[in-house]
Amino acid sequence: MNRLGCLSINHRSAPVEVREKVVLSPQDFRGLCARGRGEVYALTTCNRSEVYWTGVDELALLQHVASLSGVSGEDLRGYCEIFRGEEAIRHLFMVASGLDSLIIGENQILGQVKDAYRQALAAGTTSTFLNKALHRTFRTAKRVRTETSIGRYPVSVASQAVELACHIFGDISASPVLVIGAGDMAGIAARRLKDRGAGDLCIINRTFSAACDLAAELGGKPRSFSALREELLRCAIVITSTGSPAPIITRAMMDGVMKQRRNEPMIIIDIAVPRDVEPEAGKCYNCYLYDIDALKSIVDKHVSFRQEETDKALTIVSAEVGRFARWAGSLDAQATIRDLFSLMDEYIASEMGANSLEPRHAAIVEQKLRSSLKRYLHRVASYLKAHPTLTNIEQTRRIFQLDEDYQDRHKG
Amino acid sequence: MILWIMVLLYVLTGVCFITYLFWRRRPVVLIARGMFLASIAIHILLTLSMTGPACPIPLASPVQAANMMVLLASLVFIFFAFRRQTAVLGAFFLPVAGVALGMIAPRLQAGEGALPAMFQAWYPLHTVSVVAGEALFAVAFVVSVVYLIHEGIIRKGHLHWSAASLPPLKLLDRILSACLGAGFVAITAGMLFGALWASSLDVDLSQIAMKISAGAAMWLVFAFSLHQRFAIRWSGRRTALITIAGFLIMIILFVGVNLAYPGAHGAGLAR
Repeated sequence: MNRLGCLSINHRSAPVEVREKVVLSPQDFRGLCARGRGEVYALTTCNRSEVYWTGVDELALLQHVASLSGVSGEDLRGYCEIFRGEEAIRHLFMVASGLDSLIIGENQILGQVKDAYRQALAAGTTSTFLNKALHRTFRTAKRVRTETSIGRYPVSVASQAVELACHIFGDISASPVLVIGAGDMAGIAARRLKDRGAGDLCIINRTFSAACDLAAELGGKPRSFSALREELLRCAIVITSTGSPAPIITRAMMDGVMKQRRNEPMIIIDIAVPRDVEPEAGKCYNCYLYDIDALKSIVDKHVSFRQEETDKALTIVSAEVGRFARWAGSLDAQATIRDLFSLMDEYIASEMGANSLEPRHAAIVEQKLRSSLKRYLHRVASYLKAHPTLTNIEQTRRIFQLDEDYQDRHKG
Repeated sequence: MILWIMVLLYVLTGVCFITYLFWRRRPVVLIARGMFLASIAIHILLTLSMTGPACPIPLASPVQAANMMVLLASLVFIFFAFRRQTAVLGAFFLPVAGVALGMIAPRLQAGEGALPAMFQAWYPLHTVSVVAGEALFAVAFVVSVVYLIHEGIIRKGHLHWSAASLPPLKLLDRILSACLGAGFVAITAGMLFGALWASSLDVDLSQIAMKISAGAAMWLVFAFSLHQRFAIRWSGRRTALITIAGFLIMIILFVGVNLAYPGAHGAGLAR
């Protein structure tokens, strides 16, 4: 476990100018992994670039990342966070659960972690340890998502608008959508609707060319501003975000529209400031009107709710880190016991090689020596198996100088 | 004993669906569906056990009619229970059904015998149509309540997580419309059959004036609702409110006429 490390260049530690330079893929680390028993997992998203490793020299890895990104090693150290051992696995669990994201609880990150893992498997840069770590990561993220309400409520105005539309119409693929305005906010909301399956999108803008551009991007239909009333009659979901100083949809207009629509339900999301829709229009029968303030206050509630849920999520993460540490500990305990018995073999071989006994006597002495040492080491091994804590393993390795001897043996 | 087991099963199934409303896990809904099926199977068997040579259809008394109404409404809800979007409707129907059955259960145990007039062809046609119509109105009532709850949540904007389980408004409105339409046809047919049955008995109309007035009032409420819906396109909240009002009037009339004027309808009339 102590050999696990993580290098993270994220939205907290580095500006976007640095983050955009550090784009890592598992293929970049094949060389490092091929040299020994090392494992590497690389993850790059819009807010972070991270490398998790075990059995790889940290300095060599840092230099490799620096050379890949074109950022000097010294600068890289200033922009990155480095986690080791349990802290590294905790960080991975938190990242996958959306607890380390810019928007707490967002769920896209898990898909990105899974994609990166698929790439790592294809590149062959992960093995037993990181495979187990990543499977635990997916399990933890799933627990966080199902056992807490962290991702339950939307925390962006666009998502909230889409959610409201889904509650009214169910399947929004059958509901025509009208987007008034072609600015950033209207575009984001329209894209979210498109992602949720909206099929029939119409974009109206005073500047027709801007409407055409957004329509081309979203696969919608551009209309001139004069077609506003006609489209209001047809569409069930309306998103409006124009720069108009006065309302473009009035109560009188909506009275007429709703009458002609024969009271078919309609949801209007007005995210413009100043508002595009007269508040009175929301009083029309079967017309659901939400302005930016209404949506913002709901979204703020959801954000604070997510923060409340974070504590529950962190408890789950801690429990899972503990489980993983126990597993890693037992794995290291087995390795330590193996190393102890290798050390015993080495000691017997060196002792027997140094004496000049007759072969018959030498065999008896070796047998006695081996049996005594085995009996002695058995106690240590049993204790380690029963208590595979990191402290016990570390102390055993330090007392018997296993790490030094192990390396020396393999050098030889 | 079996009757009480059935009542208990209905209530427990309702608890399962309520759990599903707040804790949306697949095993919960699977258990709820299984229990619902078991409840209905027992209910059908019990209802069939009421029939015999002395009583060809189990609609010989207002209590049996109420039992049949709950059974028919349950058959509609079992259809909803097996659809993902509408499964939670059981959370609103089953507890009420359980309580209703609990109230009529002691009288159901007594058993009913059909009177000679009930063996006429118009009687089963009348009762089955009316009870089916009332069952559909009961379904419409529950759907209306769910509609108003869900709409209230949507108007506030904060979509509480239990609202995620509720069916979309448009779907609820469609179900409401279908139930009202079919229920109205059944009730209208039932009233016509009832009139034919009463005329075949050669009774004095003043004897059943109260029932005729009550039935006509209820019929008018639903006719008004359907007219507004299809002619003026009232949908959603207004239809839901009228349906709730209409159903409550129907219950008051059903209980009121049968308790206050026992001789003015059904078995009383047949005597």
